[in-house]
Amino acid sequence: MKKKVLSALLVGAMTASMLAGCGNESGETAGADAGENAGGAAAETTGTTEAGGGTADAATGNPVTLKTVSMFGGTDPNKETYEAINAEVMEQYDYITIEDNSQTSDEEWKAAVNADFSVGNEPDVIQFFTDATADSIIATDKLVSIEEIRAEYPEYAADTLDSALAAAANTDGVQRAVPTTGYWEGLYCNKDLFDQYGLELPTDWESMETAITTFKENDIIPIACSLNNVPHYWIEFLMLYAAGEEEYTSVPETAPEGWVKGLEMFKTLRDMGAFPMDTDTVDDAYTGQLFRDKKAAMQLDGSWYAGNIEDTENTVVIAFPGVPDQKAEPGALVGGISSGFYITRKAWDDPDKRDAAVKFVMAHTSQAGVQRYWEATGAVSQAAVEVTPVEGATPFAESIAAYTSSASAIVAPTDSRIGDAYKTLVAEIVKVSTGSMTAEDAINEALALVQ
Amino acid sequence: MLYKKKWPLFLFLVPGLLFLLIFLYIPFVENIKNSFYDMASVVKMPGQEFKFIGIDNYKRLLTDPDVRSALVNTLKMMVLTVIFEVGIAFVLAVMVSQVKKFQQLFRTVYFFPVVISATAIGLLFKLFYNYNGGMLNQILERFGHEPVLWLGPDLAFIMICIPTLWSYIGFYFVILLTGLSDIPDDIYEAASIDGCSKFKQVFYITLPSLKPVFFTSVTLAVTGALKVFDLPWVLAPNGAPQGLTHFLGTYMYQTAYGLNNYDYASTQALLIVVLGVVVSKGVGALTADKEEKAERKAKKAREKAAKTMKKEAA
Repeated sequence: MKKKVLSALLVGAMTASMLAGCGNESGETAGADAGENAGGAAAETTGTTEAGGGTADAATGNPVTLKTVSMFGGTDPNKETYEAINAEVMEQYDYITIEDNSQTSDEEWKAAVNADFSVGNEPDVIQFFTDATADSIIATDKLVSIEEIRAEYPEYAADTLDSALAAAANTDGVQRAVPTTGYWEGLYCNKDLFDQYGLELPTDWESMETAITTFKENDIIPIACSLNNVPHYWIEFLMLYAAGEEEYTSVPETAPEGWVKGLEMFKTLRDMGAFPMDTDTVDDAYTGQLFRDKKAAMQLDGSWYAGNIEDTENTVVIAFPGVPDQKAEPGALVGGISSGFYITRKAWDDPDKRDAAVKFVMAHTSQAGVQRYWEATGAVSQAAVEVTPVEGATPFAESIAAYTSSASAIVAPTDSRIGDAYKTLVAEIVKVSTGSMTAEDAINEALALVQ
Repeated sequence: MLYKKKWPLFLFLVPGLLFLLIFLYIPFVENIKNSFYDMASVVKMPGQEFKFIGIDNYKRLLTDPDVRSALVNTLKMMVLTVIFEVGIAFVLAVMVSQVKKFQQLFRTVYFFPVVISATAIGLLFKLFYNYNGGMLNQILERFGHEPVLWLGPDLAFIMICIPTLWSYIGFYFVILLTGLSDIPDDIYEAASIDGCSKFKQVFYITLPSLKPVFFTSVTLAVTGALKVFDLPWVLAPNGAPQGLTHFLGTYMYQTAYGLNNYDYASTQALLIVVLGVVVSKGVGALTADKEEKAERKAKKAREKAAKTMKKEAA
């Protein structure tokens, strides 16, 4: 009998532990909520005083745990600023506890965000993409529009420029996200290498061709790029310049001539020896190092790469030189605003969390908050508010300011329009560059997947 | 009979069964279902419906050149694992079993790569193979030779196979060495007295005595080749260069998480499972002991005869 009881107990314990493992999160939340309620009375007075004003007075007294998620995690240059602002919010409003789960954005993280939204496990505030990447979570109708928030909090996103809010609108045209900074993509050049070989910085295809040939002859890699890993920037600029702004921003059903001509340039560049010998196997971090070690002369990259540049005296960012018979205006750049802070319906409908979520977003997106983000990333990105210029800018920062301010057009990249299908295009670039696949086939394969 | 009542055993077996059911079998069935739909996202968002596309993914699987290349590479890897992993492990095990001094040292040294993570080995070899400043090219340049593109289209597959195979030799080495230690010494002594050379002893005593262990190793190696993923992925992601070094595992991962084509990746996953079952059954049939087979057949026949007799007597 004893054995039977023991067996039953053991089986029960195993089953219970397994079920407890599956349901761990809800258990924790329940526990946390209970804890919060127990401590609620003590913090109530402070909370009400600190929160002050607003129309949600009734909700401000209770302790609130805000679940937040952002892309400012891992190795992101904004991480430090983000965490500092979070700490300040918790210090200023001591009834707010922020449970943050930020990570560097990658495909698995995006899939996890989608999964959380689909099963009702979405955070209270999320900093996420605003382009087609966000379409699946927008479809769940779990994000609150700025218009709705402003009806109750008129000061919400007041510092943010209208143009920035418009740029951060979702693909359905509704403004939900409040951005901090935007981005640009441009051609980074090691000016000292150009000077060493008596070359002018490239301004058109001819001078680009001369630079590539000269560097190749002198055992300098002309362009640091991993075609197997991140050919994205080259895809964008080659297509933009070959197709022109109008065709580039269209979402065609079959491969347009300009896109095809643009991508065919990959083979031209490869045949010229413009890319590293091992461009098919190395990754983006490696080619970035080649550029910074002065083993490569040029690198097409985004504003996020600026923070990696140590030689700010001899590195400059210039406009894309162009392609033969280009249709885009010289100086056209790929860039824009692609992310921002969203408040979810879950937080908005919770009277305790509503005010805290608004405060959280405003702390990050106010003029002071954005200025900090902007400065922390080298004062080179496109700020979503009016920023105070930083004194004593380096030649590198000056070149960026000159580049971005003289842009003839700012166009969002293709993936913001065709979503996941873009990845198929990226995956075929090595084959296009070797000639084992035509540019037309690669584009058609990707366009066939556009939902 | 160890236990008279069986129900406590079943009680203990149920949690494990439930675990497998929830985390393996149900997802597997779901995976088969997914392969017939066009999945716009990895999970179905509220209000979203996936479009039924029938066997489109299976048709694509048959014509996809990358699947073909991944399949060929996987089959090649199976053959190579048997020849090099099990083969080299056997040679090493035989040699180490002959030495009494330092045997423990050899055991540890040869087994060591198995405990290092594939990611670390991949990164290590990546540094060896680097075109710019990699260890191999530094050596070549020191001797006045031109650097070699080790992961270029011609060499990449071999270069990926080398660390993949090397890292697991120690595993089979230990299995075979344990098998060798079970062969009684007096057989070898008797053979020596009869004038049998050491070399002949390997063929006439070691190999036949080691057959069951050998076959187990072959089965493990062949099915293990189907699961090759981490090391090639670290060394040459996305089947680099030009998709030539894809294995079924790496191509499925790229399709799912690189291209977000979850339904097609589900189809590939099914192919891997089917191939795994077929290959392991095939290897099992090939390596099954003939005597054992005959005995099993005879036993079946005996049982049948006994049943018939019982029926007749009744």
